[in-house]
Amino acid sequence: MLTIKNITKTFGNYRALDNVSLHIRRGSLFGLLGPNGAGKTTLIRIINQIIRPDSGTILFDGRPMTETDSAHIGYLPEERGLYKKMSVGAQTIYLARLKGLDKATAEQRLHQWFDRLEIASWWNRPVEELSKGMQQKVQFVVTVLHNPQLLIFDEPFSGFDPVNADILKREILRLKEQGATIIFSTHNMPSAEALCDHIALIDHAQVVLSGPLDDIKAAHPGKDLDRIFIDTVTHKT
Amino acid sequence: MNKILLVIQREYATRVKKPSFWILTLVVPILLAIIYAIPIMLANKPLEHANVLVVDESGLFQGQFHSGRDITYYDAGSLDYAERQLATYDTLHAIVYIPAREASIPQDAFLYYRSDAPSITVQADVNNQLQEILRNAILLDVHGITPDDYALLTSTHVRLRTQDIETGRDGFLQIKMVVGALLALLVFMGVFMFGSQVMRGVMEEKTSRVVEVIVCSVKPFQLMMGKVVGIGLVGLTQFALWVLLSGVAVTGVRIANADIFEQAASRHSVTEIATKGTDATRQYEAARYQQAQYEAGEGIDHDLQELIEGLSSINFGLLIILFLFYFVFGYLLYASLFAAAGSLVDNETDSQQFTLPMTVPLLLTILLTPAILNEPSGSLSTWLSLIPFTSPIAMLFRIPFGVPVWQIVLSTILLLATFPLCIWVAAKIYRNAILRYGQKATWRDLFRFVKTKN
Repeated sequence: MLTIKNITKTFGNYRALDNVSLHIRRGSLFGLLGPNGAGKTTLIRIINQIIRPDSGTILFDGRPMTETDSAHIGYLPEERGLYKKMSVGAQTIYLARLKGLDKATAEQRLHQWFDRLEIASWWNRPVEELSKGMQQKVQFVVTVLHNPQLLIFDEPFSGFDPVNADILKREILRLKEQGATIIFSTHNMPSAEALCDHIALIDHAQVVLSGPLDDIKAAHPGKDLDRIFIDTVTHKT
Repeated sequence: MNKILLVIQREYATRVKKPSFWILTLVVPILLAIIYAIPIMLANKPLEHANVLVVDESGLFQGQFHSGRDITYYDAGSLDYAERQLATYDTLHAIVYIPAREASIPQDAFLYYRSDAPSITVQADVNNQLQEILRNAILLDVHGITPDDYALLTSTHVRLRTQDIETGRDGFLQIKMVVGALLALLVFMGVFMFGSQVMRGVMEEKTSRVVEVIVCSVKPFQLMMGKVVGIGLVGLTQFALWVLLSGVAVTGVRIANADIFEQAASRHSVTEIATKGTDATRQYEAARYQQAQYEAGEGIDHDLQELIEGLSSINFGLLIILFLFYFVFGYLLYASLFAAAGSLVDNETDSQQFTLPMTVPLLLTILLTPAILNEPSGSLSTWLSLIPFTSPIAMLFRIPFGVPVWQIVLSTILLLATFPLCIWVAAKIYRNAILRYGQKATWRDLFRFVKTKN
């Protein structure tokens, strides 16, 4: 699905990614793990073609990525944000159309999603009147509305209460069952352990550990992912 | 391409739907209509009639005060008597008291009142009459000039007409000055108003973090240009509505006060009578007529005619085309820089370190207005009207006066060549800065952003 080859990116004198290579298989739920400032967000922005790498390539379905691929990607950034003064309906339709959906399809799918997540009554209200949890739901819907093949969630559970976090988790698993490939960036190890089938650990701009979760756990007997993470990052393996 | 249209559409629609847009759109024409209507209303509205007692102990003013439409003067004999009268009758408003002279010319006169101070009109009228009576007395006594002769002398005047010797047409320099300054100010205001809206829009997207979602779907350049163009269209819409609604409002005022305008139109023009004869009597008649007109405040009629002649001497087709050209491209130039400034900062206060130096050329041109208008074809004016950062304002000052074609062509070419460069630089800064949070940008960052290649 997605092959990341020798990506390097520097900002001024700061090296954010150093020769990073990863392969993400179609249909997998891939955990992108690492401490703050490790380079996860930079990598995600490069996959989204928001910024360009200094060197290296990204293959999407085996071919170099092009601009039109953005229509097949859904991205939920860690820093959430919507236009505060715009109504929920107008805003979600706008964002869906930017992803290439036509107005009628967008409206129809939005109503389905909003009904299921019980936010339909907020259609005409400006976003600033919504609670933070509801804004997150709206943004989640926007991320997945165009049925992207590749979904990227950056810390999706932050800001959700346990009930809504659980709803979100079920939605993510449902999308995976429907065939989407999901990249899940987090430093919450228990949720990564519960959801992911593959992981990669990034530290100081480099991939320090990657592979199927089961294999990694087998290589570190008796440790949970949290322990593996800390030991790898602090070089105590 | 389709996506940039969507961005433009959103920027335009969200702004035009705001109540604040319509309030501003309506307030300007209403204000204009009020400014236009007030003098007309005032001219029509009779003031409350004032009765003023005159006590003259100097012997110069007795019986000389002329009662008018709003004020009636009564000679009251002694001050004691007048004071009693003022205390007794509510219908009396004030006493003018001129004490006995110590020198040949009285030094002080007094306007006494009880509780309610006399209106400005009364004060002004009393003052004017005092000066006039005194002056007439001196003229007659010392120089033997009658008040009628004096009034005639001061009310006749020669109009200085500035003309092009080849075409023989009037220059109407003052009217051109006003038209040029008005258009230049409009461009200045538009660039500032809508440019800072672009900046605030960029900052809104940055601080609300929505920009990260948007730039997944559209290129930062498309987002920036969509915003700049969308807000520019809002600006043009607002200007168009202002012109339209102001026209409606001013016409409304004219229709509501049609009688006054008809009176003005039915009067004969002074020049018509003056040219009928060359003999002394005719001239005297004309001068008398002119005097009468000015005394009645009807000289406005003549000024209005000159205004219309002056306006029709300006090439408005060219003016409007060039106004739109300089507004659109001046706006594009500065709005893209405002967008870059907005992408660099998290709040409006910090933005000033970038917007202030950026807008210096605009402010400088406005500050140099007197110099430009004093010499519209001078070297300062010419240079300012060629440099792309100042030309959108400076050239508009000059156009009503007539500008050599080559200068207009050069100025437009320079502006057309510079604005893509500005947008290119702005886009570089924008795409590098828009996703940087929390760090205060410095000038060094800015140069680094411009240098990065991507």
